[in-house]
Amino acid sequence: MRLELRDIRHIYSPGAPFEIEALRGVSLAVEPGEVLGILGGTGSGKSTLVQHMNLLLEPTSGDVLVDGADAATLKKSELRRRVGLVFQFPEAALFAPTVAEDVAFAPRRLGLDEDEVERRVTESLKLLGAEHLKDRSPFALSGGEQRRVAIAGVLAMGPEVLVLDEPASGLDPAAREDLLRLIRTLHNTGTSVVLVSHDTDEVAEVADRICVLEKGEVRAIGSPSEVFYTNPEFAPATVQAVAALGEAAWNAGRPVRFDETLRALAQLMEG
Amino acid sequence: MSGSVLRTLADPGSISCESLTYSYPGAVEPALSGVTFEVRAGEYVGVVGPNGGGKSTLLRLLNGLLVADSGIVRIAGRDPTAEPFEVRRRVGMLFQNPENGLVAPFVEDDVAFGMENLGVPHEEMHVRVREAIRAVGLSGYERREPHTLSGGEKQRVALAGLLALEPEILLLDEPTSMLDAAGRRDVMDRMRGVRGEKTILHVTHHLGELLDADRVLVLNGGKLVADVSPERLVLDADLLTGNRLVLPPLSRLATGLGLAATKQRTPEELAQEIRESIRKRTAAR
Amino acid sequence: MNRSFGQFYPVASALHTLDPRAKILATALLVLGLFLVDSVAGLALVAATVMALVAASHVPPVTFLRTLRPVAFIVVLTVLFQILFSREGETLFAWGILEVHAGGLRLGLFLGIRILLLVSAAALLTATTAPLALSDGLEDLLSPLKKLRFPAHEVAMMMSIALRFIPTLQEETQKITKAQAARGADFSEGGPLSRVRATIPILIPLTVGAFRRADDLAEAMESRGYRGGEGRTRYRELRFRPRDAIALAVTALVLAGAALL
Repeated sequence: MRLELRDIRHIYSPGAPFEIEALRGVSLAVEPGEVLGILGGTGSGKSTLVQHMNLLLEPTSGDVLVDGADAATLKKSELRRRVGLVFQFPEAALFAPTVAEDVAFAPRRLGLDEDEVERRVTESLKLLGAEHLKDRSPFALSGGEQRRVAIAGVLAMGPEVLVLDEPASGLDPAAREDLLRLIRTLHNTGTSVVLVSHDTDEVAEVADRICVLEKGEVRAIGSPSEVFYTNPEFAPATVQAVAALGEAAWNAGRPVRFDETLRALAQLMEG
Repeated sequence: MSGSVLRTLADPGSISCESLTYSYPGAVEPALSGVTFEVRAGEYVGVVGPNGGGKSTLLRLLNGLLVADSGIVRIAGRDPTAEPFEVRRRVGMLFQNPENGLVAPFVEDDVAFGMENLGVPHEEMHVRVREAIRAVGLSGYERREPHTLSGGEKQRVALAGLLALEPEILLLDEPTSMLDAAGRRDVMDRMRGVRGEKTILHVTHHLGELLDADRVLVLNGGKLVADVSPERLVLDADLLTGNRLVLPPLSRLATGLGLAATKQRTPEELAQEIRESIRKRTAAR
Repeated sequence: MNRSFGQFYPVASALHTLDPRAKILATALLVLGLFLVDSVAGLALVAATVMALVAASHVPPVTFLRTLRPVAFIVVLTVLFQILFSREGETLFAWGILEVHAGGLRLGLFLGIRILLLVSAAALLTATTAPLALSDGLEDLLSPLKKLRFPAHEVAMMMSIALRFIPTLQEETQKITKAQAARGADFSEGGPLSRVRATIPILIPLTVGAFRRADDLAEAMESRGYRGGEGRTRYRELRFRPRDAIALAVTALVLAGAALL
């Protein structure tokens, strides 16, 4: 599906002395099957933005469109099944006695029969490399394991778009790598992924397109090389190094991913 | 025990462990097993390794939150099991979760908490609270409520609370892992600024934070598998992959291109080095 | 602005600067003393004093009225009860089995006014005293009870920690609710039983999370040298000043006068 946010404004506590305009007219679209990276730090409005994608929050003005139709006309449960949202530190919402029960929560709420529910639970856990945790209590797992279970719980709904808000937050580098691998796998199965993160390295590794969010506004949007080379201040350090080479960079192409960058620079240095 | 160990035992800024072993109740494997090392006063020592490898356990054994099953611990000249209060006077610990380290409803009250516990006189407390808050760059935040602060600000408040006690030793348990890049930068910058002569043991996954450390300890599966300089560590591919350690991308890029890995450099500086290298190569032709 | 303890209204006033212990004691005096006041004149005196204090507190009267709203129902009920079922004094009005007697009317109105004054006094206390100051004040006043093994310090520490974490827990609740809603949970559908069941995916993580927090916090507190109230000094010191003594004295006098009237 194509998910579009058109000129979204969101004001918290409108009219009150402490009202905050978290989003000031944000427009972007998630194309079918793409990985969209949204780069933003604290105060950028990213968490407010993602909650509009499944209408957990309603815009003060602006529209949310699903395949051209107003998302507000869809049944909430339908929308939230198709757009799966994983919050930051999602393990805080684990509650069931076993991992399998927890992951089954969402598919059960969809009214699926038990066989289908079980199939989905197994599949999602497998995708997250957490099948062996099936019968464990979610509260007895390590942080990284809990994170996997929480994400599996949302994937079990079979969403067309998966929105991940800072999914690698607090994870060690190895777990982070696993997560990026998951995103690539999902991408290959046709699921669209929205990766919201402050970490430029992370986003650069997997994004097809990048949107930079700052203080509630879109500062740049486009392909990674467009965004990073036109605005190096938003780019990962490795890309900044290439950009700093000036004209010599032209011979290096405009690499964005780490491997590409290393290869391009090595070639440049070989002569 | 060797002479050097005896010397360090007496030093208020030193840390010493011998054959330290600990298992969590009900665990099959020990969390820490036979760990031996010494840290001299004023050293900045990094502690790295995969999750579950024993890093956090080690820090908790050092300040008496956990009691070792066997082995010797001496920190700031004392045994944390026998004299936990005396140890905590001199050893400050910064935790991973910024939210759960703050106990009071206002910043200044939290910074004062440690001093209250140690019975510092009332008048002295006010001066030291103000000083500590200033040292972490949060002047003006005295009456702020913790839940209104960003992660980086919360950790700085926690740091201020530790600094107010003027500890000889700081134990840092992944203090930046739950922060974003900006928060991480703020906290580490302040840490470097206030470091002074303190001994620091810093557990982290971000190797970039340890490039200018004196030494790095690698803990895996409860065992101390390496005690090396940062330079040695970054160049040892086996040590890195064997312990699931990842260098920051810019450092990896430098290593990949055959340039010095441990230099703290900006992207512009790396670009300059690359240009130099190209020029030299072209000149050599 | 943290409105979780929305009772506290931070504004500059003479009442706000008074020592919390004086205010707590004055409120306690008022609560006890009101029941000794048994005349119209006496009640009028107390009521006038309370109104004067409300004015002096610089807290908008609307805020007080909002505090009185939940109690209004109880007051009306109590008054009605007294009016309809008390048989004291001469009959003023009779209609079938319903009888209204002068005595009942008097009792009912007095009780009603007393309740309103009590709630106003309590509202005055919480509106002019910051939660932390209140808990400090209580700790101080209760500390003589330490000799009787009453954990005054621990109670105060609990109150302070509660104050610290209530906003955090509120945010956490919101976050968990949203996360479950994103997984299809619906908190507005179904009868009362299903609604209660629907709160399980919120209550369980919240509770487990709270225990984890408590563990982390305990570690942090211990690392910072906490070992109970022994030998602890206090950052915030409460100093009893002449104006606090005067405030207490005035309260006592007003009540004594009202009781005698």
